[in-house]
Amino acid sequence: MGIQEVSGKKRIQEYFGMRQTGQAEGFQESLMQNLKYQERGSEGVEDVEPKVRKQEGKSQVGMLSGLAGIRVNTVERREAVQTAEVRHMSYEESDNIEIAVTEGYTLKGKLDGQQVYVEAKYEDGRMEAYYVDTAKVEEQTQHRIEQFALETGAKNRRE
Amino acid sequence: MEHKFEKEQRWTYLAEEYQTMLYRIAFSNMKNRADAEDVVQEAFLRYMKDEKPIQSKEHEKAWLIRTTIHICMDILKSSWRRKTVALEESLIAETREVYLPYQIKDDRTLEAVLKLPVIYRNPIYLFYYEDYSIQEIAGVLNEKEGTIKTRLRRGREEVKKILTERRP
Repeated sequence: MGIQEVSGKKRIQEYFGMRQTGQAEGFQESLMQNLKYQERGSEGVEDVEPKVRKQEGKSQVGMLSGLAGIRVNTVERREAVQTAEVRHMSYEESDNIEIAVTEGYTLKGKLDGQQVYVEAKYEDGRMEAYYVDTAKVEEQTQHRIEQFALETGAKNRRE
Repeated sequence: MEHKFEKEQRWTYLAEEYQTMLYRIAFSNMKNRADAEDVVQEAFLRYMKDEKPIQSKEHEKAWLIRTTIHICMDILKSSWRRKTVALEESLIAETREVYLPYQIKDDRTLEAVLKLPVIYRNPIYLFYYEDYSIQEIAGVLNEKEGTIKTRLRRGREEVKKILTERRP
């Protein structure tokens, strides 16, 4: 059925690596900020990351901010991730699964046409869903939802 | 009184629907294949003997999970069991051999979860590996949702500790 548990050595190493930069615990927060930023449109760029924007200048395309997952692109703002209604998709239905016990969340992904549907469940009970247009995602993205969507797409192609 | 044929049909249905899931839950508590299989058998037997009608499929599933966990706890609490210490090596070997039907790249986190105290192990296992919601876990374990959230948070911290201690 193509179920894959991605937790384990790689995830643990990622966790320890991320912990050093203080980003592991900020995953949910950065995700929410990113979505808020997208919803607010281009006007929100100044409010969300004014300092970063000043440093980058208008000629720099696709620069990432200091916060993981927040893209500050001053020329072309991509909208790869859109919020969606939670379907309550099961593990069996999913093409890709990430069980991140140490970080307090699970991700489930399923290829849906040209997009990847991603469902996130958090330790506090919140559930969120997104549609990710992988064609708009940069390969080197630091956004976890985007990375997971790319992994799901690649995994689906391999199978 | 159920006819033999109806009983056989019931057994088949129960086995197909819940056997694998209950086995995983039993294994997460018992940590060996033989005991886990015995627990699942016992849970099915109790379900078949239970005369009370089950309201819905969700109730049926919750009843079976709850009963499975109770049987595990009863066995683990027994004096005979407390004298028997499972070797870590055999746990790791069994986990790799017979555990989740997922394709596992590395099972260190899962091993850490299996080592948690029972109050954290079952909520964590059900939440992450069986994809249950907090509300469902609260129902199965007869606890408040707030209690489950607290146990998930504390259990996660315990998993981190276990993994950190093991880190070379």
